[in-house]
Amino acid sequence: MSKRDINDIKVGDTFSASEEVDKYRTIYYAGASGDFNPIHIDPEFGKAVGLGGVILHGLCTFGFMTKTVTDWTGDPGALKRIKCRFAMPVHLGDTITTEVRVAAVEENRATIDLKVANQDGAEVLLMASAEVEL
Amino acid sequence: MGVDAKFTGREYGPLTYEIGKEKIREYAKAIKNEDPHYMDEDFAKNTKYGGIIAPPTFAVVYAGMLAEPFFFDKELNLNLFMLVHGEQDFEFFEVVRPGDVITSRGKIINIENKEKLDVVTLEGKSVNQDGKLVCKTVFTFVIRK
Repeated sequence: MSKRDINDIKVGDTFSASEEVDKYRTIYYAGASGDFNPIHIDPEFGKAVGLGGVILHGLCTFGFMTKTVTDWTGDPGALKRIKCRFAMPVHLGDTITTEVRVAAVEENRATIDLKVANQDGAEVLLMASAEVEL
Repeated sequence: MGVDAKFTGREYGPLTYEIGKEKIREYAKAIKNEDPHYMDEDFAKNTKYGGIIAPPTFAVVYAGMLAEPFFFDKELNLNLFMLVHGEQDFEFFEVVRPGDVITSRGKIINIENKEKLDVVTLEGKSVNQDGKLVCKTVFTFVIRK
């Protein structure tokens, strides 16, 4: 795993990666995070509240997005800030693709725009961005 | 009935969480991120960190604990059936390692009453055992009326 250097990046650089939301992902995430909200683990409950089944934890999608950034930098400690707005539910079986695009570079800090969409191209997170120090 | 804006400034915690190596591994696997910085001791000891570190978003575990007293605050009386997670913002200042003891404090920094929904913003600040700020996080929740 090689570390990315600030001198090797420029505005407009891109990188992307995808994750599949497998059938049991919400169960793993509930256990690891402690978030056992029934909308994430109980399909009957999810249907009853109009979600058509369970939905993935927003912060798990956020974790996928963050992984794309830290895989790109090669150093998780380089990440200084990451944020988003949660726009729409992610379902089991979805494939989530995160696109990194370098928006600005100043000294050793880069600002990154993030586009996070499902297999239909619908953006599940909005106004997503990160800042890294390289 | 909405969320009363008088609760702006209300505080939660401090809550303390000790970082564990196996919990880091469990979390990393759950987010499908098996980066060797998080799970491979031999790799990690040769990095600039000199050992295993937690994924940045492991903050959802140690700072996310603040959600519980906030959600179940009887006076605040949030309608959890109508609540969704609207936005999330993390700022990171120090890496977090196994054995660190993280103390988090939460504060409601904004309550916005709109016609059809309320927006409640909870800020969390987490410091390590040396008193150094490791993470500042802002959770924004939307509660439909």
